[in-house]
Amino acid sequence: MQETKSVPGVCFPWEEKKKEYTEIKGDEEVVKAWWETYDVHAYVHLWFCVTGL
Amino acid sequence: MAKSMQELYDERMDRYWKANHLQKPDKVPFRPCAAELAGKIAGYTAQQVTHDPDLGLDAVVKMCQAVPGIDATVVNMVFVNTSVTESYGLKYYKVPGIDLDADDSFQYIEPQTEEDAFMKVEEYDRFIEDPNEFVMNVWLPRTSKYMVPPGEQNTWKNNLAWLKNGIAIQQYFQKLGANVARMQTETGTVSSLAGALKAPFDILADKFRGFRGIAYDLHRCPDKVLKATEAVAPHMAWNCIATADPSRKVPCSHWMHRGATGFFSEEVFEKFHWPTLKMVTEQIWEAGIQTIYYAEGKWARNLKHFRQLPEQSIIFHCDKDDIYEVKRVLGDRFAISGGVPNDMLAFGEPADVKKRVKQLITDFGPDGGYLLDAEAIMQQDVKVENFIAMAQACEEYGYI
Repeated sequence: MQETKSVPGVCFPWEEKKKEYTEIKGDEEVVKAWWETYDVHAYVHLWFCVTGL
Repeated sequence: MAKSMQELYDERMDRYWKANHLQKPDKVPFRPCAAELAGKIAGYTAQQVTHDPDLGLDAVVKMCQAVPGIDATVVNMVFVNTSVTESYGLKYYKVPGIDLDADDSFQYIEPQTEEDAFMKVEEYDRFIEDPNEFVMNVWLPRTSKYMVPPGEQNTWKNNLAWLKNGIAIQQYFQKLGANVARMQTETGTVSSLAGALKAPFDILADKFRGFRGIAYDLHRCPDKVLKATEAVAPHMAWNCIATADPSRKVPCSHWMHRGATGFFSEEVFEKFHWPTLKMVTEQIWEAGIQTIYYAEGKWARNLKHFRQLPEQSIIFHCDKDDIYEVKRVLGDRFAISGGVPNDMLAFGEPADVKKRVKQLITDFGPDGGYLLDAEAIMQQDVKVENFIAMAQACEEYGYI
């Protein structure tokens, strides 16, 4: 199958986002979970524009 | 004693599930795909059900209340809400009440020239390399009157369009969920599908290159067409599964376009259309979800390929094919739906409809795995009395 840079379910990966922080003083998992929650929504939203509208 | 809405819902869900899984339920389920027809029954214009999401969804609830015997139906068969598309200036629809008369159905306008295509032939490589990037940075801005791509002068209208697009779609999703619940609690009716699959070849043909474009591409850059279907396939599968019914009780939908026999040869179907469609259908089935193959048009010579799919993984909806031939080719592996011609529903009489329904139930009901529906989506040309006759005939003859 054709390889692509796009990962299903991901627009802006946490690994990239994390590099923007010099330090996460509290619980990283909380920050990560909510980053990914909105990122998945953005991904579904983006493809809904293509397939559902 | 009258059944409660929950009892009615449970009974209908059981009936629907069994028929979808090739079993024989207590009654042949009536699963109409009613679009503008629902508005006609509820007293709304096509503009109202297309542009006002509240009225569009309310029409379906009202239809289920007004016509007893609907076991399962689509919560939003008028699947495009044009207030959502207008919120960000989507270019490719003719909108009832704006571009069209208030009682006309919305129309998809496919770009006719290479210059107007939403993806140019020289952009295949960029699309294949990163479909997400292409959709966000190229396709969406190109399909909107207001959005601008990265690198161009930003505008107030661009910023507003992204904001409104997000708000409008989120609100629409919330309304969909609320109305699925209304169907259950106010009418005892099952929302017949959740999640939508597009065949990778179809999405490329319909939304990116257009029919003319892809027809040429099959000759001038066939390898790129194939790679593009492979690049987009994981996204089609992922999105379908993510938006499917969490309980896995109702199927997802697949509205089938360019694999119909009138468009391309069987060779094209086998090489470009079928491999990725088969793959994503199997992935969806592995996730526990059936797919309604809503086979718009005629699929005759391509029907046999669907036998390669796992048993019960699809429900095959028959439009212009001979439903008896479909039953012969696919009926031992998959449930089948359809059978009542739309021209009969538009121009015939209730007696014609009842006779056709009785025949279909007599011929297909005893084996199980059959769901009553029209051949195609029911719009405003269907006579309400014929639709009622369809439901009544299913109640009268459907307990087999």
